[in-house]
Amino acid sequence: MGKIYQFIDQRLDLTPLLRKIADHPVPDHANPLKTRSAFIYCFGGISFLVILMQILTGAFLMLYYVPSPDHAYASVSYIKNEVAFGGFVSNLHRVGASAAVLMVFLHMLRVFFTKSYKNPRELNWVAGVFLLFIVMGLGFTGYLLPWDQKAYWATTVGLNILEGVPLAGGFLADALRGGSEVGMLTLTRFFVIHVMFLPGLLILFLAAHFFMVRRQGISHPL
Amino acid sequence: MSLCEKQTTSSRRGFLANGIKAVVAFFGLGLGIPLLGFSLSPTRGRDRHEDWIPLIALAELKDSRPTKVTYQYERKDGWTTVATRKMAFIVQNGDGAFTVISNRCPHLGCGVDWDATANQFRCPCHGGVFDLQGRVLEGPPPRPLTQLASKVEDGSIFIREA
Repeated sequence: MGKIYQFIDQRLDLTPLLRKIADHPVPDHANPLKTRSAFIYCFGGISFLVILMQILTGAFLMLYYVPSPDHAYASVSYIKNEVAFGGFVSNLHRVGASAAVLMVFLHMLRVFFTKSYKNPRELNWVAGVFLLFIVMGLGFTGYLLPWDQKAYWATTVGLNILEGVPLAGGFLADALRGGSEVGMLTLTRFFVIHVMFLPGLLILFLAAHFFMVRRQGISHPL
Repeated sequence: MSLCEKQTTSSRRGFLANGIKAVVAFFGLGLGIPLLGFSLSPTRGRDRHEDWIPLIALAELKDSRPTKVTYQYERKDGWTTVATRKMAFIVQNGDGAFTVISNRCPHLGCGVDWDATANQFRCPCHGGVFDLQGRVLEGPPPRPLTQLASKVEDGSIFIREA
């Protein structure tokens, strides 16, 4: 391992780059070893870890999942009942979704109560709000994919809530639903939004979020 | 003094680095093993089709040329069951004796056909040529055409998938 790293490092001179990325002191007020209550500064990192787990388990679930009304339910029950570790992987993804929303929300509360969103970090707060919506969107679209009763009715109700938006509500709900009833087109739409569009946005906003926190440093509570 | 200081800091670094490695290994194995098993799950235990599959009635066998027959059986495919269609040749050896030969070329799996003028099985893909018994005459096939286990019952020929 060390030799492989040396081989690459001799040619690409990576060490200064890695030092710059990884070697940065955590201020005492955000270090749980120094300040007992600093664990609240971990929620952002835990959110990222959970998101990585979701991407990993989600990619593997796609080995078997078929986003079609004929096969969605059967493919999910195949994963759960016949594939080795199928219950483990699908439940990890399901519980991870709840954990992601929870952790992102706790992270937001920490930023709120330490007033870290204030000047000069307003833009990072805005990026964070987008990330919250993206994570919730991932939760909403993923919920339909097992195509069972709970999934169907949750999506029906969720999209009917969206219809309550003034003026544009009906259009927005129909656009997401792919028509006036939850069906085949809803499932394929939600699948693609869940595995392509939202993860793409998520990665973009995470990159911006991390760039800004490194550029500006961790805030002191006011 | 300075040497001593250096040693303590470096060993502490080493301890933390090992700790990080342990955590990474824990997550790596805890996730890696289930995910590997998850991915490879359908490759375990190739499901063999053990049942006898009806081919053709003995009375329908014509002259001594190889008779091409299509047979069909149900196969589990993921969470569905699909009808699989395959082909075989019944080669008569006189005195009512016969062998059933799969039409799958043992080279790369194309379907061979009977060339009545040359009295040979020919594979259209890469020029494999076999004689009436399925022995390789020319071309790349590494072994003869596969013979399928067969039996006669109630005047019909049955085979079993190899």
